[in-house]
Amino acid sequence: MVSKFENLPEMKPCYAKKYLPKLPAPITVRIKFRKIGSAQYISHLDFQKSIHRIVARAGIPTWYTQGFNPHAKIAFGLPLSVGAQSECEYMDIRIDREISCEKIKEQLNAELTDELRVLDVYLQTTKFCEIKYAAYEIKLKCEGLSKSLAEKAEQLFEVSPLIMKKRSKSGEKEIDIIPFIKSISASYSEDDGIMSMSAILSANDSDYLNPEYLITAMRDRFSLLSGDPTKEWYSITRVRILREDMEDFR
Amino acid sequence: MNENYSSILKLVSKPGRYCGGEYGSIIKDKESIKARFAFCFPDSYEIGMSNLGVRILYGALNEEKDIWCERVYAPWVDMEEKMRTYDIPLTAHESGDAVRDFDIVGFTLQYEMCYTNVLNMLDLMKVPLRSADRGEDEPIIIGGGPCAYNPEPIAPFFDVFSIGEGEEALVEFTKLYIKMKGDGTYTRAAFLHEVARTLEGFYVPSLYDVTYNGDGTIKEYRPLYDDIPTKVKKRIIRDMDKAYFPEKVVMPYIETVQDRIMLEVYRGCIRGCRFCQAGMIYRPVREKTPDVLNSQAKCLYESTGYEEISMTSLSISDYSKIDELTDKLLEWTNDNMVSLSLPSLRADSFTKELMDKVASVRSSSLTFAPEAGTQRLRDVINKNVTEEEILRAVHTAFEVGKNSVKLYFMNGLPTETYSDIEGIAEIAKHVIDEFYRTENRPKGRQVGVTVSVSCFVPKPFTPFQWEAQDTMESLAEKQEYLKTKITDRRIKYHHHDARVSRIEAVLARGDRRLADSLELACRQGFKFDAWDEFFDYDKWLAVFEKSNIDPSFYANRQIGLDEVLPWDIIDCGVTKEFFLRERAAAYEGNTTPNCREKCSGCGANKLGGERTWCPNSKTCLK
Ligand code: SF4
Repeated sequence: MVSKFENLPEMKPCYAKKYLPKLPAPITVRIKFRKIGSAQYISHLDFQKSIHRIVARAGIPTWYTQGFNPHAKIAFGLPLSVGAQSECEYMDIRIDREISCEKIKEQLNAELTDELRVLDVYLQTTKFCEIKYAAYEIKLKCEGLSKSLAEKAEQLFEVSPLIMKKRSKSGEKEIDIIPFIKSISASYSEDDGIMSMSAILSANDSDYLNPEYLITAMRDRFSLLSGDPTKEWYSITRVRILREDMEDFR
Repeated sequence: MNENYSSILKLVSKPGRYCGGEYGSIIKDKESIKARFAFCFPDSYEIGMSNLGVRILYGALNEEKDIWCERVYAPWVDMEEKMRTYDIPLTAHESGDAVRDFDIVGFTLQYEMCYTNVLNMLDLMKVPLRSADRGEDEPIIIGGGPCAYNPEPIAPFFDVFSIGEGEEALVEFTKLYIKMKGDGTYTRAAFLHEVARTLEGFYVPSLYDVTYNGDGTIKEYRPLYDDIPTKVKKRIIRDMDKAYFPEKVVMPYIETVQDRIMLEVYRGCIRGCRFCQAGMIYRPVREKTPDVLNSQAKCLYESTGYEEISMTSLSISDYSKIDELTDKLLEWTNDNMVSLSLPSLRADSFTKELMDKVASVRSSSLTFAPEAGTQRLRDVINKNVTEEEILRAVHTAFEVGKNSVKLYFMNGLPTETYSDIEGIAEIAKHVIDEFYRTENRPKGRQVGVTVSVSCFVPKPFTPFQWEAQDTMESLAEKQEYLKTKITDRRIKYHHHDARVSRIEAVLARGDRRLADSLELACRQGFKFDAWDEFFDYDKWLAVFEKSNIDPSFYANRQIGLDEVLPWDIIDCGVTKEFFLRERAAAYEGNTTPNCREKCSGCGANKLGGERTWCPNSKTCLK
């Protein structure tokens, strides 16, 4: 019997890439993607490792570093903590052959699930260090929520100082998180019992505020989310990334 | 995933193990399927995701339109604690539905030390541990894998075992289930009887009565019906080229044990080392052809994007077409930055040509397994490799730029003496000397040799199945003695924990009476016994004592050659006569040629198979 593998159509993107015309010099493309649902539980480190495989099987003509152990260069924008979702993650890939941004998007998405989707691909023109803020949508459902609590929460995040323990490489230290909060608003819906918050937080290299601090603060001050975790929940979604002038980073 | 499960994931370590949603995982419409199969791997996600067998069976079952197979792994201890505190039952990875509500729950049994995890998982599912206590609405619990060749210690917990290779068998089994559910003839008892009566390779323990002699040995196995087999013959896939092969792989997003392509080149092993169970139970060797393998490797590369292809078979260099295969692979792998690797190498087939092809830049180390320190003992265990061959192999390795070598040995092999142990230290020393004798050795780098010594565990279906395991005291003395013999700082020495090996021996050769001990262990919260940090020898001894089991009876007793063995109920293809002949040859220090050189009439040829070395095979490789 002839094996069913003998008649496989040749030239899947992962092999076809080497026949694409070579670029005079490698160029960097920026990839905007979402990371939601199950994908929020993939750690940054694990994700970095798996993206190399995704790019390889998608047949993206990545440029390889020269030298003893060649590897593709992939750079990431902001870190995203485990348990937070995002609709606006960025990574840069260097390519060395001609391929359209549309094709890159199409080929990557063929290797990804809905929870991890490429939303946009374009030539990189800005640097990640131009990122200044990130906007988050936070939702909570638990005991003790109300309209007045939403108001109290807004006040909590407005009045300095709000001292929290922050873990860093050099051990634990106490910081005031208010200077890192650009704006915040909270509302409570009677219909579904969910409290929603919109927050814009500092997100540049030196003073990045993890949105989990807002949850921790409310847990501490209002004893929210301290019951049965199978009956309560919260979610954090990064929705925009902003520059100093509050325009969308691209 | 629902929000509440999501909340739990925020409280546990490495939540990526539980969230599902991996690329390549299979989601089906519940309305359109007739049987839901939960395939359980009784260890962590990271280990389970690396298992080739799970990958194959998951794919094979899901090929069927009306079957949906999902995966289940053992939750790590912090997750289990949350599950127990908040009363969350064990759920399947794809749908998040409770495993208890499935039709069939399968466990792959890869090593004895996972038995406590099997029971713990049943408990987390809220399914009664014992087959006898399960009701009509509860799932059928089936076991398979290498440990199913002596399923007796766990027999009371399983409704049925699948013996041998499962790709075809499990599909037939599930189809029979669907048929009987469909035509209204299904009851647990009727189904299990029908399985035993009509399907080949299924053992339903509750349909066999075991009686014992006064001295604790087994008197007989008696089938309860005369229309079921008195011995259950293992299933094999006859033609490996036509065996089901998963074209899509579930891709983990988190790091797992084997993040590489695993290309199964052939099944079985031509060698026949006398301590090795895998070398016997997977007989006869059945090869795939290089063309099929090359297409499969490409297919796996396309669906995974892994940068490394590991050719996994028991002793890869014994593949008859190794050159043709590596040449075909290299035609496309180099261009795509994919490297080839060989996990298992025999020193006698280690050549420069082969090395050049698989030279992987990543690893500077190579592994060989002489198993015993002297030629005499290597002859006893039928490890047909000489010290000259080992030294020639390491010489080649040093020439191609490696500077460290790992050597695997075993303590406690039958007939072992202290001079055999000294021999281990000698070989390690000679490997160091060989480094300095190699003209083009890697310059400016220090040579390193790692000596890793495990303890012999007598396993069912091997020529050494009757042997007594060395006592713990004796093993400990031997390990200490070897330590004093290794003085060179360039030689690192590790040895396995003899206490684990002893429990392994008890479970490997145990009978049904051990089920009481295992149930007690489960009730006391035993789990992850394959992990050093959880294994507690004293607690095991206490459990045995409480359940009136003498571990020495199973581990340290020389079993009579005419005794009825717990695993006599299974027919693995290789005959008892062959094992007896091999045992006698071992004590005379005689070696047996491998299947490629000469057939020794082990009996496995009666199972059939394409591209085997067996002389009666139509497509004999000779
Ligand atoms: S029948 Fe002969 S060739 Fe075949 S597996 Fe047994 S010993 Fe090897």
